Amino acid sequence: MNAIEIKNLSKNFKDKQAVCGLNMTVPLGSIYGFIGENGSGKSTTEKIICGLLIPSGGTIKLFGKDYCDIDVRSKIGVLIESPGCYQNYSVWNNLMLQAENLSIPDAKKEVGRVLKMVRMEGSASNKFKNCSLGMKQRIGIAMALLGKPRLLVLDEPINGLDADGMRIMREILIDITKAKTCSVLISSHILGELEKIATHYGIIRHGKMIEEMTAEELDSHCRTYVSVKSSNLDELKRWLNKKYVDVKQSEDSIRIYDDINPEDVVVYLYQHEILVQEIKTEKIGLEEYYIDLMNRKVTK
Amino acid sequence: MTTEFEHYTFKQRLTSMLSIDLRRMFTTRLFYLFVAICLVIPAIILIMTNAMAGSVSVDPNTGAETVAEGFDNVWQMIGSDGSSASAGMSLTSMCNINLLYFGIVIFISLFISEDFKSGYAKNLFTVRSSKTDYVISKTAVGMIAGVSTIIFFLIGTIIGGSIAGVSFDLGTVTVGNIVMCVLAKIFLMGVFVSISTFMCIFAKEKTWLGIIASCAVCMLLFSMIPMISPLKSTILNVVLCLVGGLLFEFGFGALSNLILKKLSIL
Repeated sequence: MNAIEIKNLSKNFKDKQAVCGLNMTVPLGSIYGFIGENGSGKSTTEKIICGLLIPSGGTIKLFGKDYCDIDVRSKIGVLIESPGCYQNYSVWNNLMLQAENLSIPDAKKEVGRVLKMVRMEGSASNKFKNCSLGMKQRIGIAMALLGKPRLLVLDEPINGLDADGMRIMREILIDITKAKTCSVLISSHILGELEKIATHYGIIRHGKMIEEMTAEELDSHCRTYVSVKSSNLDELKRWLNKKYVDVKQSEDSIRIYDDINPEDVVVYLYQHEILVQEIKTEKIGLEEYYIDLMNRKVTK
Repeated sequence: MTTEFEHYTFKQRLTSMLSIDLRRMFTTRLFYLFVAICLVIPAIILIMTNAMAGSVSVDPNTGAETVAEGFDNVWQMIGSDGSSASAGMSLTSMCNINLLYFGIVIFISLFISEDFKSGYAKNLFTVRSSKTDYVISKTAVGMIAGVSTIIFFLIGTIIGGSIAGVSFDLGTVTVGNIVMCVLAKIFLMGVFVSISTFMCIFAKEKTWLGIIASCAVCMLLFSMIPMISPLKSTILNVVLCLVGGLLFEFGFGALSNLILKKLSIL
């Protein structure tokens, strides 16, 4: 059984099709990185899952049950776009309201617990409207975590978070999914950060899922390359092109995607009097994979 | 493999929704502002009209004299006695407790639109696929707010009457009539609360639309209020208002529910 199973989902806004025939599977206990360009249909899909938008077609199952099931829905934590809080209420009161919304028995203890998780204990009495963007985002995360949800739907939760906030967020998500009791659907444009936590990925474009894969599959897709830096990049590239097949120039280095030994490159360049400043073996990350995938789709 | 989920009964969901709305209502400044206005307005009306009562104004063109009317007794603030044919349109039937219906629809508009404007509706409706509890809770809170304002208006009337020196004589009405009149007005509140709840759910975060639409309907029904709940109300008026209130609450409640179910929340 999967936490989320979407089949053939579509959503039209008048004449614009935001989501068309989307299929998606979020396994239990996974952190599912939902990636796509602006306007690709990520937020729309998440809003539909949360019951905030009515789909035009398709089926959605949460934990094997219909997504409208009252009992399943009461176990969803959500942070979509911005936290839904009353501006004139204190952080504490906003969280208490949500605790009441979720019928949490020991609400005060639970609110204290989530505030501690996001390191906001000291700001509980602050009015929500007086909080900074990063603080608001933390409050939104705390709100989503109330009542130990089985599914977290997070839309751009890292936006506005400082380095510490991102680290806390990372730790929380890894921690809550460790026991496989919670699954997370997270969309973000900060792919480097997503790569550190996601166990599964879904890449969406123009409302369609173009690729779904596990972190291991991404790892196997991502090629390794040898990055070489020199003071004269043009000369370096000229010589490397003579010997290797797949050579590309990045911002300040030349990358060789052939299956080679870096030592051989150094020896080769030394023989041709090219001074190597830096040479290292690297792997392309999610961001580069994603950009590459998008470019391939455009070319096609 | 199946995953078990805790079952929440309708009663549990309604209780939690009500506690959210009541907590919100009793912690918002807006509610206390409305209550304060309800306390002050009758006093101001009584003092002003009493001060101006009997003063004669002359039309410079026709020379016709108009004598400013005032309240014969404080109970006219609660309802018109219907002694004249134009009772529905007289000063004493317009500038009295009936004004509260406008106040309450504005309060409901501001209260409901805040859910959508703040984005709290996202939290509410993510965990509530059944929208019935939301509609019932909002209607109930509207009724509680309405009853509170009526009570404070009565207190304001008594205080204002004492200050202005307006008579407390019952005249042709009895205490029973006054109690029935107040009860009828309370039940009649259901009509306005349910209409306003529906309008505001339809308007969502557009507060202005909710207020305008609610007030427009309120104006249409306004002239009916003194007729259906006069000062000389009997049990028949109470039953009529109760039935009307319930019918509107069920009808518009079902419509509000339908809107929330069939239309997107955001």
